[in-house]
Amino acid sequence: MRLLRLAMAVTAVALVATHVSAPASAQQYPTRPINMIVSFPAGGSTDIGARVVAGLAEKILGQPIVVVNRGGAGGQVGWTELARAKPDGYTIGFLNLPATNTTILDPERQAIFNEGSFTPIANQVLDPGVIWVAANSPYKTLKDLLDAAKAKPGTIRAATTGILSDDHLAILMVEEVNPGVNFRIVHLLGGAAQMKETLGGNIDVSFDNVGGIVPQVKSGQVRALAVMDTERSKFLPDVPTTKELGMPTVISSSTRGIGGPKGMDPAVVKKLQDVFSQAMKDPDHVKRLEDAGLAIKIMVGDEYVKYYNETHEKAKKYTEWAKNRPQK
Amino acid sequence: MVDTFHYLMAGFAAAATPTNLTFAFIGCFLGTLIGVLPGIGPAAGTAILIPLTFQLDATGAIIMLAAIYYGAMYGGTITSVLINVPGEAASVITCLDGHAMAKKGRAGAALGIAAIGSFIGGVIATVLLVVVATPLSRLALSFGPPEFFALMIVGLVLVTSLAGNSLIAGILMTVTGLLISLIGLDPVRGAPRFTFGLPELFDGLGFIPVVMGLFGVGEILATAEKPYREVIKTNLRGLIPSRDEWHRSMGAIWRGTGLGFFLGLIPGVGAIIPTFMSYILEKRLSKHPETFGTGAIEGVAGPETANNSYANGSMVPLLTLGIPSSPTIAVLMGAFIINGLTPGPLLFQERPDLVWAVIASFFIGNVLLLILNLPLVGLWAKILEIPYQYICAGTLLFCIIGAYSINQSIFDLWVMLGCGIIGYLLRKLNFPLAPLVLGLILGPQIEKSMRTSLEMSAGDFSIFVTRPLSASLLALAVVILAFAAMQYAPKEIRDPNAD
Repeated sequence: MRLLRLAMAVTAVALVATHVSAPASAQQYPTRPINMIVSFPAGGSTDIGARVVAGLAEKILGQPIVVVNRGGAGGQVGWTELARAKPDGYTIGFLNLPATNTTILDPERQAIFNEGSFTPIANQVLDPGVIWVAANSPYKTLKDLLDAAKAKPGTIRAATTGILSDDHLAILMVEEVNPGVNFRIVHLLGGAAQMKETLGGNIDVSFDNVGGIVPQVKSGQVRALAVMDTERSKFLPDVPTTKELGMPTVISSSTRGIGGPKGMDPAVVKKLQDVFSQAMKDPDHVKRLEDAGLAIKIMVGDEYVKYYNETHEKAKKYTEWAKNRPQK
Repeated sequence: MVDTFHYLMAGFAAAATPTNLTFAFIGCFLGTLIGVLPGIGPAAGTAILIPLTFQLDATGAIIMLAAIYYGAMYGGTITSVLINVPGEAASVITCLDGHAMAKKGRAGAALGIAAIGSFIGGVIATVLLVVVATPLSRLALSFGPPEFFALMIVGLVLVTSLAGNSLIAGILMTVTGLLISLIGLDPVRGAPRFTFGLPELFDGLGFIPVVMGLFGVGEILATAEKPYREVIKTNLRGLIPSRDEWHRSMGAIWRGTGLGFFLGLIPGVGAIIPTFMSYILEKRLSKHPETFGTGAIEGVAGPETANNSYANGSMVPLLTLGIPSSPTIAVLMGAFIINGLTPGPLLFQERPDLVWAVIASFFIGNVLLLILNLPLVGLWAKILEIPYQYICAGTLLFCIIGAYSINQSIFDLWVMLGCGIIGYLLRKLNFPLAPLVLGLILGPQIEKSMRTSLEMSAGDFSIFVTRPLSASLLALAVVILAFAAMQYAPKEIRDPNAD
């Protein structure tokens, strides 16, 4: 059925391409299929979330939403394409905060887009950061870990899921509020590598997001020490938050939301906001994402724009810091 | 053990229901198709189908997606043998001897032995999965970045076996491959290298466009300059491996099975490295290493077995630890998760029915693939009877569609065509292509594992020699290098008593 629809979508695109049609007005939008760029390869958690919401939203919208994977360069390839797309509402894509921000902020990345290049539309997921160790680790609590890191600075191997990822910034936030604590930061490529090296004893502590470790916590292979949020995660109800542990500034998360290029028609943005928030409230969407350990956090309009801007400011501070931090 | 047997039998009962058999068949069929089509690899193929599985029951969905994965390993062989274009990355090395066999009218034998080897590899790896999965998966975890680095260095020194007549040419090609692999974003710092500001180059040159160019397009150009190529006649007897070919293949199949399964246990190795290692191993062990590259059946049987054994072996870290060892397995893990299942040690306790049905389906799927592939061998071999000018045009079209379909990128097409011209020139100058491809594969792996190791040790290089497993592997690399040096040394040094 879906393949059939895809075939129809292709036909529709071909038909549109042959006619030089006048731009459709916002009332008629959408009159043809919409491309949704996912800046990561198929099968990742951003991709799965995107496919679930696209499947539900296209029913409401009445036009197919085609998920297009543009993986590569830590998302930069896909975001470059999104920023360059025509702001006609027919190309939207996923923004991953703060990864999108740090890509902009790191001068080495030479991104051709900046914080003003996108129109935030609707946020889907907010996955809080988590500090975790292997089940056989000597560190039972966050305090154990920080004491050890203070006693022997620069020897506790702490893994990120990549340079300038939210996890990398989170390590810096922990160091910031705990003077004397200094980790030996190891950048691994993604959560799977982190899981392997931490279980294998090559890494002492990992910084990741709750969604990445719920299965392993359930099976007793890993222990979560703290969730970097103001309230407890419903997936890890027994794990204290950094706020509870007296570190209210150590708040870190990875969010996934839908955005478009800058300069979109406000009426089109409004329509997409309505459609996507309706799709995200659908019980099917809620169940699929929660099964995957992903916390849904719908933010639209000013709320999402404000969150986007705040994340950017926060990322700016820690990105500069990350670039200047000497590795001991 | 009795329990395991009991569970497995229950698994067979569940996997053999008409519905699940149908899913296994659809998966095998789609997998073969994805294997045949270059461009769309198993990872993209399975990912596209995930939403389709929402409506299905979890067992059927996972059986189908897994079948696509290992089915692709069968299909990838076909185009490698027939037209020298690898249908998916793990079949690159099969081009060397598979296509050479096809030119001699032995395409049927090459495809036949690949299907049989794949079957044996897949089935035995699944048996090993049932019997030794849990203890071995723990062992594989001790394989950290320093050990990974040492293993890749062993792979790198083995390249001397691929060098052909001139060691210098082989080394030159390897270094070229390593240098090309540096293009793109630095894997640790994220800084662009040799990209000339082109975002298309941030991920480096695509592996598939490069190898399709070097092998496929290069082959077309090399053949096109000849005024006339005989139509390859394959008679019916040519479809089955001869007694001698069987004899030579069996050892390669067993070794390929072991190698593929073992490397499948280590997350991050990928499906290509086992095939290269198997090819090199066979060439080393062969009494006639000079026949490799001219249509040695061991050079097809070993690697094609290894990639299937790898595919089933790499299910071990997923099922026992919940760690995906390759992009395709990550997609499969996504399918588990989205169906409310958490891969890992608990899955065996929580949903033994599902796990064992899926494992049983691996056996069934491999039988289905054999049944699906063997009768088609004759049909595939017939393709070679088409006059070459048509095959040539068809191959080029096939390569263009394949290279374009990966990222819908015109840039990839230029990469492929450029590599085609380079592949043609290298062929004319007698430079071997395989070391270049190996350098291209090993480069990023070596760099990443070395830098992670050094991050772990705060820059201390002793981490590579103070860990026993890593030190042993590096010692092995030195021994291999010493042997290779002897082999290529002037005759007087090798054997002072000669003359």
